[in-house]
Amino acid sequence: MRNRAVVSAAAVMTLMTVSLVLRAQTARIPDLSGDWAPDARRGGIGQSLSLSDTGGRNRGNEDDIPYQPWARAKTLSEKTSTGADPRFDETTDPQVLYCEPPGVPHIYLWPIKTKFIQTPEAVYILHELGPYYRIVWLNSKHPADTDPQWWGHSIGRYENGNTLVVDTVGFNDKTWLDQMGHPHTEQLHLTERYKRVDQNTLELEMTIDDPGAYTKPWNAHRNFTLSKTGFLRYQQICSVRENQQFFDNLGTPAATPPSVK
Amino acid sequence: MKNRLFVATALAAGLLLFSHTALPHHGANLYDTTKAVVLKGTVTKFVWGNPHNQIFFDVTDGKGEVAHWVASTEPPLVMLERGWTVKSLNTGDQVTAYVYAAKNGAPVGNLQKVVLANGKELTAYQGRGGPEPPPR
Repeated sequence: MRNRAVVSAAAVMTLMTVSLVLRAQTARIPDLSGDWAPDARRGGIGQSLSLSDTGGRNRGNEDDIPYQPWARAKTLSEKTSTGADPRFDETTDPQVLYCEPPGVPHIYLWPIKTKFIQTPEAVYILHELGPYYRIVWLNSKHPADTDPQWWGHSIGRYENGNTLVVDTVGFNDKTWLDQMGHPHTEQLHLTERYKRVDQNTLELEMTIDDPGAYTKPWNAHRNFTLSKTGFLRYQQICSVRENQQFFDNLGTPAATPPSVK
Repeated sequence: MKNRLFVATALAAGLLLFSHTALPHHGANLYDTTKAVVLKGTVTKFVWGNPHNQIFFDVTDGKGEVAHWVASTEPPLVMLERGWTVKSLNTGDQVTAYVYAAKNGAPVGNLQKVVLANGKELTAYQGRGGPEPPPR
């Protein structure tokens, strides 16, 4: 009888301890502070979200992107400004053509830094490009009827004391997923998992779930490293006028056939 | 004009977009990326700005003829990461510029590195020509 009591007490104590540890872990909020730059040693910005074809050399035929037929055809029909076959003079990238927002995850293929401002009600994700920002609402739900927008509607939660999980729906269909022309529809459901692996490293795992364009969800990945150079020391703004000046100075002379110079 | 703007935007943003990692592709259509031209000249203007930095410099040949060169680097945000600032180059600086020049002979190109008169070297493109970083 005494032995049974001891065992029961031990079991209860063990359960209480495990419970306390679990609660402490789930309640712990990861520190995402810092200025996060694309890690050039681990993929950099790349051109494609395809894990098997980051340079975009096999665009439209990657083995890890489960295209629906129309999405593959659309990808192949696009003229990219980067990658293996850059078509500067006739690109169809709306972000390049019209200076439209790249949206997410496309923005993570730019050579710009990202910063997280964590508050009890929301995480604000700031980008040096634009400068654009997103609001990730914590302890919240998506609206029942989302109005399709460039950056969608994001809600978030913390997991395991080291990860911010962002769930986004309500995108419009105007952006490319990356620089290789991968399309998406308004059905896109993007899950982002930002995990601070150590003081200097942030990893982003993404799941792209768009039943309008792909036959099943697929994954992408980005790596970031802590930068000490300061945030937004330059405002990277897409300006048609400045682009024009740049082209006048460098593009036109380089593109002009020697015979007509 | 519309077409011109179209091309301008596409080129500028395109250069910006893929200049960071797929370095062998950068300017592949327009520049000779197999070798850098070495040019000694004087900086006439340094544009620290969007979509790319631009360095204007004059190069005088043996006959006294002056060529007005302009070379681009990556955007300011990238160059800040590489230790450059808006004050890295100044009008009047004597420089030796290593440039991937336009294939058509125009005095334009992509700056690879620049060496100042005091010997200080500023690298514009890290790892250029090297293997593309592997995916994770």
